[in-house]
Amino acid sequence: MRTVFVRLLTIIPLVLLVVSGTFFLSLASNVDPAEIILGGNATQEQIDQLRHEKGLDQPALERYGEWLGGVVRGDLGTSIYTGASVTDLFMAALPVTLSLTVGGLLVGVLLGVGLGLLASVVAGSRLDRGVILLSTVGQAAPSFFIGMLIIYFLALKMAWFPATGYVRPSASFGGWLHSLILPSLALGVGVAAALARQARSSMIIALQQDYTRTALSKGHSRRRVVFKHAARNAASPVVTSVSFQVAHLLGGAIVIERLFALPGLGSLTIDAVLRYDPNVIQAVVLFAVVVVVLVNLLVDVSYTWLNPKVRAA
Amino acid sequence: MSETISGTAQSPAGRGRRPGSGRLVGRVLRQRALVAWGAIVGVIVLAVTFAALLSPYDPNTGTLADSFAPPSWEHWLGADRNGRDVLTRLLYGGQVALLAAVEAVGIAMAVGVPAGLVIGYVGGWLDRILMRLVDGVMSVPFLVLAIAVIAAVGRGLPNAMAVVGLVYAMSVLRLVRGEVLAAREELYVDGLRVSGAGARRILFRHILANIAPPIIVQATLMFATAIIAEATLSYLGLGVTQPTASWGSMLAEAQATIRQNFFLAVPPGMAIFITVLGINQIGEGMRDLFSREITVGRLGLNVVRRAEPERAVSEPVPSALPERPVALEVRNLSVSFPQHGHGRVEVVRGVDLRLHRGELLCLVGESGSGKSVTAMSMLGLVAHPGLVTASSIRLADQEISGLDFAAMRAIRGNRIGVVFQDPLGSLNPTFTVGNQVCEAIREHRDVSRRQARALAIDLFDRVGIPNPAQRFHDYPFQFSGGMAQRVMIAMALSCDPEVLVADEPTTALDVTVQKQILRLLSDLRDERGLAILLITHDLGVVAEVADTVATMYAGQLVEYGPVAEVFAQPRHPYTQGLLDSVPRNEASNGPLASIRGVVPAPVDWPIGCHFADRCDFVEEPCRHSPVPLTGLGESGRAARCVRAGELRLHGISRDRLDTHAGVPSAAGSGTTP
Repeated sequence: MRTVFVRLLTIIPLVLLVVSGTFFLSLASNVDPAEIILGGNATQEQIDQLRHEKGLDQPALERYGEWLGGVVRGDLGTSIYTGASVTDLFMAALPVTLSLTVGGLLVGVLLGVGLGLLASVVAGSRLDRGVILLSTVGQAAPSFFIGMLIIYFLALKMAWFPATGYVRPSASFGGWLHSLILPSLALGVGVAAALARQARSSMIIALQQDYTRTALSKGHSRRRVVFKHAARNAASPVVTSVSFQVAHLLGGAIVIERLFALPGLGSLTIDAVLRYDPNVIQAVVLFAVVVVVLVNLLVDVSYTWLNPKVRAA
Repeated sequence: MSETISGTAQSPAGRGRRPGSGRLVGRVLRQRALVAWGAIVGVIVLAVTFAALLSPYDPNTGTLADSFAPPSWEHWLGADRNGRDVLTRLLYGGQVALLAAVEAVGIAMAVGVPAGLVIGYVGGWLDRILMRLVDGVMSVPFLVLAIAVIAAVGRGLPNAMAVVGLVYAMSVLRLVRGEVLAAREELYVDGLRVSGAGARRILFRHILANIAPPIIVQATLMFATAIIAEATLSYLGLGVTQPTASWGSMLAEAQATIRQNFFLAVPPGMAIFITVLGINQIGEGMRDLFSREITVGRLGLNVVRRAEPERAVSEPVPSALPERPVALEVRNLSVSFPQHGHGRVEVVRGVDLRLHRGELLCLVGESGSGKSVTAMSMLGLVAHPGLVTASSIRLADQEISGLDFAAMRAIRGNRIGVVFQDPLGSLNPTFTVGNQVCEAIREHRDVSRRQARALAIDLFDRVGIPNPAQRFHDYPFQFSGGMAQRVMIAMALSCDPEVLVADEPTTALDVTVQKQILRLLSDLRDERGLAILLITHDLGVVAEVADTVATMYAGQLVEYGPVAEVFAQPRHPYTQGLLDSVPRNEASNGPLASIRGVVPAPVDWPIGCHFADRCDFVEEPCRHSPVPLTGLGESGRAARCVRAGELRLHGISRDRLDTHAGVPSAAGSGTTP
């Protein structure tokens, strides 16, 4: 517990580093939001006036201090473009992205680890080769192409699912699930492909270890040997690659939200980039870093559970 | 990587024995796949490069009359909404994709390799600070990072791919840095450290030679992901600008009209897919060439099948301990594995073994003689492609050959316990030893957790583990090798088996601990009437604890008998060779230097005596036909030697001093025919 706390403290500088980096990057930019908002016909006076109103003419460090102070209080600033609170925009979009990434993670982990485990037990067989082929294909196809195929076949041809759109769980829980299935599938396939590979090779290694033979020599069932003795040892590298996949999922969600017209952080980000709205972008970067760092922390904690050597050290 | 690719190493005998020939063929096949994918990617690259020559159309202008034209002779892949030729746009889009990937990978290499070299070489605080920075950059999902940078520096594909390249540079940097640190360590260890510029040159040459293969593989795989990155950014509208064609923007356009015309999504999607797949396959193929292939093994399970009666079963050898009840009797046990180009190859051939209650039988022989496979095969623990047959395996009065996996579970760990060579590797590192022993007990006995725990602690006490109740909760890595082997023995004994199979149980331990473990085994034999099959290549061990000894050579039992008699006067030249190779002063694990040559591989076993090529007494009849294991009519002795009746071998008691290291003396010097 103490180590977790210490780790939490050490990630603060990392988060600060990345977030400050993006902040100063936006300051160093030669793009002037005021010009963009006012369009090409604005006079210099109008631009200066708007810059003053939006506080864009303040010294950089002052703006940085103000922004950072706001972040600590939970205030992510306002959208330069609409004047809306970024915190509000962010909180409205967050549930969509969280549902999607969790859905994608579930698809990826269940499908990927399941297939990888299955393939490892029958390594070298036709089934195993089939899993390898699937995973090779899944890693080579971009998620939005897979998503378009899914939309075409499952939503347009078969009409089993809605092609696009998001239903709030408060409006209809079933509708929410229904609207998330296809996007989660599209997002999760790539993750599943990578995890299947990792799970398969970790399990193959574990199944060849001496302790597996020992477990068999004790008269245990295959199930016990595979799921208890081998799987526990094969888990660490799989958990590590799951944590890599979370970063991948956050990026992938941007694309999938666009494809399925989901009003999540991805759509928010793309809009922000297209019309240049730095506070929104910084909020998303901050969120992504915090999530990735927390997941890494969670993974490190899981190592201590999975590997007694780490616990003792 | 230097071995194997083209060379087929043949044995001096020219018998076509290729070490790991299956793997070699696999590599060549893989390489063929590499060549095939290389050709596919090559065609794509050429077609894309010469797009202007191949297509008569302009990628960005079309005639509205052709809007949504289906594939035809004029438009092989049809036309899009604006009537632009899809194939043309695909080819020009490929240019965008390849250039973008070249840019990203180029930046990654140009930044990552030198930075990694410098950071790894300088080390110290620079290393620590910069690696934190690298961690920071790598913790942001690259698409989010790319978007943040695009937002700052403005849209446009070159900017976006520069970001992608910088992110990739981080992982290249890591790879190179790690390699530099390893190389420094290695050179230091090798004593290659010279002073000044010479050292630096050696270091960098050494490092570059080491990192070239992984870097090339990494760059190839990066190239594939860069193509996906370009497509993703352009799909999101952050890459190329209208009307420039890119595979990603073509997909975005196709999505807009997916309800009218789904087909438009297929060409760009497949273009990305096939290109990325091809490049990935090339990368993986190269990785396989550079690194050793991982052998694929399944869950090691193979039941013993009843042997077909066609092979003549030899006469049973007379028992060495006829007064005792038989605990385990194996008749005509054979194990075969498929080997590429040779069909099934037998590695154990027609082994007969008899083990009595309270008997400790040592199975001896060099590595590769088939001792371990023999023992494991009886329990159905031979790895996947192996095939085990036996005319009969009787455990007390039960026939256990032909039992399926489920039925064998009641035997394994219950009536036959097993102790393996490497105790620390054989215990599961992720569970406490107590958990593993209790698990074995509860598998076969209907006892509560608490009772199992009490039983386990008693066993720990019996096998000499101090503080058993505390050590119960420890993990294997908290035990020394000797203590871990005691845990293994406790586990093997946990269900009070009739037979204990111990496969080189002391090889991994130091000499004093070896003696303790051997004493423990012989005590257990005496107090429980346990029948122990002890596999070893160490004749010192045999002399110390065995009642009977069986010598194995090249898959066959070649000699059997009471240990004192066999050691005093062996009846097979191979046994004599083993005895001669025992080092003079009782130390035990020396190499078997005094028998010339090595155990032949199973495919090279001759028709006649398997030992003929290494034997000093070989005569013409030895090579004619298979030599049977023949009883010698004296207190249960048997030998598989044509000349067993005439040879007078000197055993181990005499002339030990004549055996010097390096002098080939396989039973030669001190023999009186």
